[in-house]
Amino acid sequence: MGSRVEILNDGGYRSDGRRQFELRDIAIDLSRHGQADGSAMYTQGLTEVLVTVFGPREAKLRSQTIHNRANINVEVNIAAFSTGERRKRSRGDKRILELGAAIKSTFEPVIQTHLYPRSQIDIFVQVLQQDGGLLSAAINATTLALITAGIPLFDYVCAVSSGVHSTHAMLDLTTLEENDVPHLTVAVMPRTGKITLVTLETRLHSDRFEEVFRIACEAGKVLHEEMRNAIKARTSALARAMGEGHPAGAPSNREGDEDFEMGDD
Amino acid sequence: MLSKSEKSYIRTSLLSEPPLRADGRSLLDFRGVAVELGVTALANGSARVRIGGDAGSESGGGGVCGTEVLVAVKVEVEDVSGSVDGGKGRMACNVSCSPAAYPSLTMLQLDDFQSDLTSILDTTLGCSSLCPTNLSIIPRKKAWLLHVDALVLADDGNVYDALFLAAAAALHDTRIPRTRPIEYRPNNARSQASADASDDPMDGASGLDTHAMPKATDFELMDYWDEGEPLVCPNGMSWPICVTLNLVPPLFYLDATTVEEDATLTRLLLLYSFSTNSSNTRLQGMRLLGHGEVEANLIKPLIREGEKHAKHLNQSLFAKLKSELTKRIPQIVPSTKRNK
Amino acid sequence: MEVDDTDGGETSLRSKITSPGESLTSSQAFMRGHGTYVEDDEVIASVAGTVERVNKLITVRPLQTRYNPEVGDLVVGRITEVAARRWKVDANSRQDAVLMLSSVNLPGGVQRRKLESDELQMRTFFEEGDLLVAEVQAFFADGAMSLHTRSLKYGKLRNGQLVTVPPILILRLKSHFYSLPCGVDLILGLNGYIWVSKHVKDNEQEGEEGFDAEAVYSNQNDEIDDATRAAVARVSNVIRVLAAHFVPLNDTVLVEAYEWVVEQEYTVKDLLLREDVADALVSAVATARPDL
Repeated sequence: MGSRVEILNDGGYRSDGRRQFELRDIAIDLSRHGQADGSAMYTQGLTEVLVTVFGPREAKLRSQTIHNRANINVEVNIAAFSTGERRKRSRGDKRILELGAAIKSTFEPVIQTHLYPRSQIDIFVQVLQQDGGLLSAAINATTLALITAGIPLFDYVCAVSSGVHSTHAMLDLTTLEENDVPHLTVAVMPRTGKITLVTLETRLHSDRFEEVFRIACEAGKVLHEEMRNAIKARTSALARAMGEGHPAGAPSNREGDEDFEMGDD
Repeated sequence: MLSKSEKSYIRTSLLSEPPLRADGRSLLDFRGVAVELGVTALANGSARVRIGGDAGSESGGGGVCGTEVLVAVKVEVEDVSGSVDGGKGRMACNVSCSPAAYPSLTMLQLDDFQSDLTSILDTTLGCSSLCPTNLSIIPRKKAWLLHVDALVLADDGNVYDALFLAAAAALHDTRIPRTRPIEYRPNNARSQASADASDDPMDGASGLDTHAMPKATDFELMDYWDEGEPLVCPNGMSWPICVTLNLVPPLFYLDATTVEEDATLTRLLLLYSFSTNSSNTRLQGMRLLGHGEVEANLIKPLIREGEKHAKHLNQSLFAKLKSELTKRIPQIVPSTKRNK
Repeated sequence: MEVDDTDGGETSLRSKITSPGESLTSSQAFMRGHGTYVEDDEVIASVAGTVERVNKLITVRPLQTRYNPEVGDLVVGRITEVAARRWKVDANSRQDAVLMLSSVNLPGGVQRRKLESDELQMRTFFEEGDLLVAEVQAFFADGAMSLHTRSLKYGKLRNGQLVTVPPILILRLKSHFYSLPCGVDLILGLNGYIWVSKHVKDNEQEGEEGFDAEAVYSNQNDEIDDATRAAVARVSNVIRVLAAHFVPLNDTVLVEAYEWVVEQEYTVKDLLLREDVADALVSAVATARPDL
């Protein structure tokens, strides 16, 4: 599809005025949603995803239980109006199943499922708007929702899309750019730098891969900072709300050893 | 799922004198209703309606969750040359529910519920008497198809009222792109630009005549300062408003929470549309939900009562939309004045 | 509340906010507790919350999470399933709790042996949807908790309504049963389920004979006057408002809040519909807050 829009103009700007490695604006809302144990509304540019987490809780179907760890169930729902062209996707749609599977496999090694044998953790991904970077937005929102639900994780998972236009690598592509440019999504665990997901849906010259991959990992660290700030702001707000009315900075001693015991594993 | 004693506690409280609800509201009180317009950038019109939910807890800890419905309208050009109803355009509605709104339902139960909601929204709005009169692009050839897609994000009761409020607000927010029919004249390769658009350079180069004429075969989108024209509802009527009467004979009450719905056997959904000068009211639909039955001679008075409350709801929605359209800033409509 | 984490001192660690993947301290000097894991000789946080230290034990307490049960805890739960010789109970935890037929008091005396007929009529004791108050008795190998109701204080709940709050807001206290001066009884389940009901006199609850099966497993509510119903609604809304503002709950706070609402002559629904009233209520109880 020959596009009339220049992906990267001579001045080094992209069609929406961004530089090569510039991320779109990110907005994170962690306020409680419905009856969910945890939730996160994540907006990156025009892409908007709401993830709600329920659990760990009793599995709805006994056949879904795993005897030594929690089962992770991911359901993706893409609003028919989320794209430029209206498109209704049913639950069995291939794209929806792929997205769900990618999110599940990304988080399986990250959630400490061994702490919750026979339980179920439901992750409901609701796509409200999409303009590129859908998988990465869904992964970031899932990380945040799991943390607000108090579910133990080895680390954050921070994802970003990156592509290459002729020889120029670029970050965080819009739909328009995704249609024109080979791109991949990378999810990274910032503490160890481990990668939990790489997807490449288009062909990419192997010489280019390394650079694109490297800047995606770099961008993951930037996203980590944003996500961590949002989590810390919310956690501090709740801690403050709980502690108000006490002499500042001197929370009295809790009966700590009664409340918490050494993990038994 | 409630226990028998919880259900009976709720019913006895409703029937005591004066009636008392779990959250202290009177029978006809609504929770706070918030309406926001233009919430999805990629749609031609959209609205989000919230009923209830925590008032001002920035920490958002425990509390009540409320009901939240988002509706987006998208237009699409449809070939109507083969259509039997004159090809004036149409509305197609679809409702989907986030599993997060119904955490205890299985996916199959959720699918059933979605199709129930779709059916009531589609039969009511899809009715030809409510079809906007300005959907035609080229008579009997091309018309706009309005996709009305609703998404239930949270349900703490009264989802039908929320659904229709959100749909009405979204339709109100919808702008139809302005179009201009054009005709191709093979023997007149260089056409004259029409008088009203002579300054448009596109016309001169297109080889097309843009006079509005019955033989027009195609159309073009007009560049205009606004996003298009609002939908015109036929006969000066409003979009339908739903009022759910929760029946606890001999009483009924409005805006039930999920817990209250669980304790109520029968619900009567009544759908009304009103003419803008309020002189004319039409009943657009009616459904009886639940296990109970209603005495036939009660229906008439219930319909009259329902009309009163639907009218109030319609008026507050209109007042709200008016301020919203001028300010485009989310705001909360206090609901308390709607009582009695 | 940010404190440099190179300092492993007690005060700095206790008030610190952390989140997953953050290194807290060396695992050679400290032991890891809940909300942490060990990798490469480091104790690392696995949840977002406040870091707490008791002697050599480091834990991170998440602020919002499902209920984490301990033996002896008092919980309020709802029956989800009636199975062979047991009930499944939702108690807002990682799995449904189990209430064995052998862990409830049966009609005909507390010490009576279980009969086969009991197994066939389990729904006459508890059926799906029923609420009960029970104590956590033990854990199964997979971590599910088992409950018991073998005390006259425990059993089926009637005469009121349920309010749910985040479990962290319910502190572990000597007693979780309260009678408020307004004629309302409260059961603060540690799992965040709170039962608000009409006050029942102690001697009605625990008669000389000790056990009236008819009354204990009844689904019928007593006669409840309007004033009591209004008080139940008011207490429930007070709890909802405080929980929405993440205020830890105990009897002092609730009595204080209730009296404030009555003094200010706010109606029950003002609390839910008016933000200013809710905010004023929260600041009014600030002094009565329990110690954390």
